[in-house]
Amino acid sequence: MAILKVTGLKKTYVPRFGGNRTEALKNVNFSVEKGEFVAIMGESGSGKTTLLNILAALDRPTKGSVLLDGFDLSEIKEAEIAAYRRKNLGFVFQEFNILDTFTIEDNIYLPLVLAGKSHDQMHKALIPIAKELGIEEILKKYPYEVSGGQKQRAAVARAIITNPKLILADEPTGALDSRSADDILRIFSSINKLGHTIIMVTHSVKAASFAGRVLFIKDGEVFHQLYRGEDTNEQFYQKISDTLTLLLSGGEAR
Amino acid sequence: MKALLFYPKLALDGVRKNKRMYLPYILTCTGMVMMFYIIMYIGICSVPDSMMGAESVRSMLALGSAVIAVFACIFLFYTNSFLMRRRKKEFGLYNILGMGKRSIARILCFETLIVALISLSMGLILGISFSKLAELGFVNIMNEDVSFDLSVSLPAILRTLEVFGVIFLLLLLNSIRQVRFASAMQLLHGENTGEKPPRANWLLGILGALILGGAYYIAVTIKDPITALAWFFVAVLMVIAGTYLLMISGSVLFCRLLQKKKGYYYKPSHFVSLSSMAFRMKRNGAGLASICILATMVLVMISSTACLYFGEENAVNQRYPRDINITFRFGDLKGLSDQTSKAIKRDIDNMTADAEAEPSNILSYRSVAVSGLLIDGKVELDASKISSVAHGVDVMANVFQFLFVPLSDFNANVGEDISLEKDEAIICVYRHEFEGDTLSFNGGRTFRIKKYEAKKFEHGEGYIISPCMVIAVPDLEYAIYGIADMRDSLGEGMLQYRLMYDFDTSLEAKEEIALCRSINEKIYSSSTHAGEMEINYGAYYSSISSREENRQDFYGMFGTLFYIGIILSIVFTLAAVLIIYYKQLSEGYEDEARFSIMQKVGMTKKDIKKSINSQLLTVFFLPLLLAASHLAFAFPIIRKLLLLFGFESVTLFAATTGISLIVFALFYAAVYKLTAGAYYKIVSDAKEQNA
Repeated sequence: MAILKVTGLKKTYVPRFGGNRTEALKNVNFSVEKGEFVAIMGESGSGKTTLLNILAALDRPTKGSVLLDGFDLSEIKEAEIAAYRRKNLGFVFQEFNILDTFTIEDNIYLPLVLAGKSHDQMHKALIPIAKELGIEEILKKYPYEVSGGQKQRAAVARAIITNPKLILADEPTGALDSRSADDILRIFSSINKLGHTIIMVTHSVKAASFAGRVLFIKDGEVFHQLYRGEDTNEQFYQKISDTLTLLLSGGEAR
Repeated sequence: MKALLFYPKLALDGVRKNKRMYLPYILTCTGMVMMFYIIMYIGICSVPDSMMGAESVRSMLALGSAVIAVFACIFLFYTNSFLMRRRKKEFGLYNILGMGKRSIARILCFETLIVALISLSMGLILGISFSKLAELGFVNIMNEDVSFDLSVSLPAILRTLEVFGVIFLLLLLNSIRQVRFASAMQLLHGENTGEKPPRANWLLGILGALILGGAYYIAVTIKDPITALAWFFVAVLMVIAGTYLLMISGSVLFCRLLQKKKGYYYKPSHFVSLSSMAFRMKRNGAGLASICILATMVLVMISSTACLYFGEENAVNQRYPRDINITFRFGDLKGLSDQTSKAIKRDIDNMTADAEAEPSNILSYRSVAVSGLLIDGKVELDASKISSVAHGVDVMANVFQFLFVPLSDFNANVGEDISLEKDEAIICVYRHEFEGDTLSFNGGRTFRIKKYEAKKFEHGEGYIISPCMVIAVPDLEYAIYGIADMRDSLGEGMLQYRLMYDFDTSLEAKEEIALCRSINEKIYSSSTHAGEMEINYGAYYSSISSREENRQDFYGMFGTLFYIGIILSIVFTLAAVLIIYYKQLSEGYEDEARFSIMQKVGMTKKDIKKSINSQLLTVFFLPLLLAASHLAFAFPIIRKLLLLFGFESVTLFAATTGISLIVFALFYAAVYKLTAGAYYKIVSDAKEQNA
């Protein structure tokens, strides 16, 4: 069953003071099954961030629809959007977006507190997640005391603690060194195995090779897709790399 | 030439590009300069030398200007640190691109110079125009025209330049120090490096609470006005120190404690606001404390000076119970003989008749006055022995003014017909209590106290602010036996032999003053040589004053005080508003990113509004609450101080205090509404910028 269905998505930006319209997305169609780990790849300016923003209900499409679990995102009222996001989506950002005024623990609690959960409930939810992500030791620390990789783990914990229908990750390894990046990607794989559906935007081949499927976006359209099948990470890495080279040269040929 | 202009141009560009940050900063500097000038100006120009208590008003103003200078320094450092956090990034970039620290320091110099020039000139211009405006209002408050100097005060300008020159220099040195000791990378990331959350400092918090408690204790326990005057400034300094310590570390402590209460902390409306408050309190504590102190000062000043101004009619009436008030003092008991007093009254009545008037509502009695320490029914008059008598007793609060009054005069005054034995006495006690059957003067007589509960004796001595006891005795000579010969350390007799003759007339104010002057002249007529005054009737001193004449003096004095109170209140309120506004603005910019993150995580606009409200309410009304508490504890000590001016009405002071508090709270709430709006606008704009 498809948890996410994107059809005929179009997004045009009109500059505030006139000038040329920019077509960020032309016609995007794809769907994501429950429990999938999908990576979206594309060059800068290909429209992948715009796509993610629309999926996150941070932005509205000019045309087309996004159905999350059969529910059209464009039907949500402006006032309810934040609450909807909180209940149904989990976010992991490139720049962590961890609040420096909270301890790591409180940062993870934030969406639950907003949902009005009691401290006991939150604590019960946190224990297995903290164990899984290996952040039990740093829960009481403040963000300035921990490393980037640890911050990102806390961000992942914050994203999954609400048990969202979909986790959206925007270049989650972009601000990390390669070791921490590998850690985070392994964590993504393992939470995916636990049943979480993940969509990750990236331009790192390494990151994409952890996914089960890779969508390639170019000039505002889904250009190509690759399934992992039975490949190992290394084999899949090679395939993605080849495809990218092909796309790049093909693009030049066009 | 080009190289010469390079740094000023870079500095000017820096200021211009960071307009959003620099504008409020310059505004703040300007405001501070303006306020300082106004206070200096009032101190130098607006207090007439002839005014009663001009000296104490001046010293109060000097204290006020010192307070403003300290505030300006603290506050400008706070605003400057905020500015530097933003600017460091730019300097880091310059540094990486190859500009030496020395050159950066040069840019900083020019920047400071630009800010100083703009804010000093604007502040002085505004200060001068505002002080002129205020003077026009002053003439309205005073009942009559007072010669008034509508000029610019050069000393005030110079003083302002001096003080703010030093402050700007300190700011510059501090900025250079920050740039000097940081690497290029540190500078570049200066704004983003996670700030450490403040640790709660128990020691300082407890110290603050103790100091504040001590100040409150002093304010509440002080019994008499003289001690109150001596301790008032100590208490003020203690309150200021205590407030700062308490706000800076106590507030962090408080937030931390609340955070430990899980049921309270993990609520949507408390969660965000509490954590960011705890995080910010250390820096904000000083700002909040400043607001609190300023609010307290405004409230104290305006309530007490308003009380003086509106209560002056009362004060005049108490000090001068009748239209014409005459007192004679004599060297011994002979002056108090029936013949002498009859002669004096007859002569004054004649003089009054010459002015076509007749004395009415007469208050007249003879008395022998002496002051001494009263403990357990025993009176010690010898100042040198007082320390040995008073064991753990507040001496100042138990020093009485004793007035021995002949029983006949007492009876006439209260309208009774009481008779007493030789060693019996009737007493009336003012501003104190006395329960006892006997009253014994050390070295003199002991009296049996006869119960008396009818109408209190009107002694009409408005100047007496200490406890006072009227002792009615049948025989004055018998009563003062023993103490009449006592001498003080200067070898002077301790007793005063007085005759009071106060009365109303039906005359107009002008005629009344004229009558008073003519009586004065005639009584002193025989004194031919200056210096060696000799008065008729064998008296060595007389005071003849008309209420009308003094009323004008009172209006002059209290009008001036009220005017100064109003101006200072406006100035302090402005300072508080500036601090609040700047705090909101700067915090808004800081929180912009935070709220943007929280929106991404799923915080609704409604949640944001709620959280902001909860945060602002606490931050805003904490200083106001503390100020109200300060005011409540200041109430008794200020009441005692008002006694020095002859004000006794508690209700009037309570009323002016209450009204001041309400008006200030309303005004404060309006400012809150306004700045909360500005803050919310900044924070909620965050989404559009970041999405």
